[in-house]
Amino acid sequence: MFYRVNMATLAVSKDDGAQYQGLGGRALSSRIVSAEVDPQAHPLGASNKLVFVTGLLSGTGAPNAGRMSLGAKSPLTGTIKESNVGGAMGNKLGRLGIRGIIVEDLPAKDTAYVLKVSAAGLVVEEMPELKGLDIYDTVAKLQQKYGEKVAIGCIGTAGENKMASACVGFTDMEGAPTRQAGRGGLGAVMGSKSVKAIIADDAGTQMVPFADEAAFRAGTKKLANALLTHPVTSQGLPTYGTDVLVNILSEAGGLPTRNFSSGRFEGANNIGGETLNATAKERGGKTGHACSPGCIIRCSNIYKDKKGEVLTGGLEYESCWSLGADIGVDNLDDIAVMNRLCDDIGVDTIEMGVTLGVAMEGGVASFGDGKAAIELIKEVGKATPLGRILGGGAELTGKTYGVRRVPTVKGQAIPAYDPRAVKGVGVTYATTTMGADHTAGYSVTANILSVGGKVDPLKPEGQVDLSRNLQIATAFLDSTGLCLFVAFAVLDIPEALDGIVEMCNARFGWNKTAGDYLEMGKQVLRDERAFNAGAGIGAGDDDLPEFFRKEPLPPHNTVFDIPKKDLDTVFNF
Amino acid sequence: MSGTIELRAFMGLADTFRERGWGNPRQLSLDGPTSGCELLAKLDIPVEQVEGIFINGKVSLPPVAVVNPGDRVALAPPGIPGPYRVLLGFKRKLPGEGE
Repeated sequence: MFYRVNMATLAVSKDDGAQYQGLGGRALSSRIVSAEVDPQAHPLGASNKLVFVTGLLSGTGAPNAGRMSLGAKSPLTGTIKESNVGGAMGNKLGRLGIRGIIVEDLPAKDTAYVLKVSAAGLVVEEMPELKGLDIYDTVAKLQQKYGEKVAIGCIGTAGENKMASACVGFTDMEGAPTRQAGRGGLGAVMGSKSVKAIIADDAGTQMVPFADEAAFRAGTKKLANALLTHPVTSQGLPTYGTDVLVNILSEAGGLPTRNFSSGRFEGANNIGGETLNATAKERGGKTGHACSPGCIIRCSNIYKDKKGEVLTGGLEYESCWSLGADIGVDNLDDIAVMNRLCDDIGVDTIEMGVTLGVAMEGGVASFGDGKAAIELIKEVGKATPLGRILGGGAELTGKTYGVRRVPTVKGQAIPAYDPRAVKGVGVTYATTTMGADHTAGYSVTANILSVGGKVDPLKPEGQVDLSRNLQIATAFLDSTGLCLFVAFAVLDIPEALDGIVEMCNARFGWNKTAGDYLEMGKQVLRDERAFNAGAGIGAGDDDLPEFFRKEPLPPHNTVFDIPKKDLDTVFNF
Repeated sequence: MSGTIELRAFMGLADTFRERGWGNPRQLSLDGPTSGCELLAKLDIPVEQVEGIFINGKVSLPPVAVVNPGDRVALAPPGIPGPYRVLLGFKRKLPGEGE
């Protein structure tokens, strides 16, 4: 079932979305945006649409199938955008039988609207009292009105102010807004339509139907067994979270430090997963926290301050890096404060941290000054002129302050792996349809990847093929509603991929092969490439900023040296 | 030629170092070039607890790793998340293993 909400008329309509059958998640959001949005549309204008869609497995109770996708033309990149998020919303929408909610046009009135969906249908409610609130206060007010069992996705003041780094914050299973559809500024698109929040109440719903429930359960068992036995998903992530990567990437010389001027951070251990885990234990916080129903990996956490009060949740690798090493800060408490501020104001932590790194290089503050960084984020919340520049992202900030080293691709900040030391991810940054995005290239199986000893992270050989296969596989996984982290187990345990294929087939009565699903991944990329071409963003934009090719990165002192002509072959499939 | 290495441990192995009263990093003397498996034996760490050994920032697998005095070394156990196991070279077949 699809809902369409026209914000100009506030009319709501419902249809079965026949033209979008067989699609879910990223495949669905990108198809809708490709088919219905003029690539030349202004991202904040009436012609752009904001879509909320569920994955193929949403609402089924499958392991780690709690993700959903938001889609639109991005105000940050000008490209198509799929922003993927966990939390409680995806499962509830799936249980409600909703495959997509498409928000169209612009409202006549400057106010705050809430879209509330339940078994009774979708209604638009005006709640002007929410205007000007940040995310935590918005959630508190909505929970007061609708109860604590509903799932909420909402924007803060950054979204209302249509800042290009604005995210959409979603509640987790405890009702805290610790999950974000972070990348690409979709919070600004939501703000342009005066949609303050979306709420899902799945009371009274039944289990979603299966074409073959027994086969579905068999597939579930295969994936669950893999996740529960693989050391990454059963030990590493539940204990340390993704932040365990800080020490690893620093040791590998690929942790971007002080605005990508070094690949190793002397303070890495102070902000890494080992310290995060020890701090959580000491203060009564939590690691091994599940962010969405059915999550058995549990990589999330709850972080408390020195007084034992909950400060933030979902403090993960990218945020600890961007608000830590990239700005030279090695104090986890300062990082946690910044993370909370970003989640509350409603800005992407990756974009914000990289922006602060660029601003520091431009002389706005000193590297390593965590307290100054906190104050700068508060400027974003207050929407001062400086705050608006920072909220506009790294590229805008770099231009404003005349900074040469601006780590962005297609206008989006590069995440936590320096492409000079981890060249495979550099190919993905350069070529993905999304602008720099590390999650665009996750792995599936060794045989698909053909990784038999071929890839050296410091050498160019084999990286283009690797990135191509990773991007195709990721586009499929992003379409299922599964968390990308299932890929860690799938990499070593092929039965897990069999389980995913069996679950998708049994849900809908299909008889597809893994190859068919990878073809879906290829089609997603074709749809997105076509949209971007229409927006004037093509192969010429598929490269990294010049400094990555010219400035050697310590400690390995390597540059990104994969020829542009090779990058142009990534989409040869 | 003998000398010391600077040795780090990550994840659960960091706990092992702490429990044994070792620094992290720990300065460790070697008599000369030492294989990854010999190093782990010297440290009394089972080889299955180490998926990769960083030697001067480059990942090597325990059976083929060679550590020299003066090296910066780090032990990474199984459980490193991400495709980064592929991108950094953890997920790699050893010589003699089939495609």
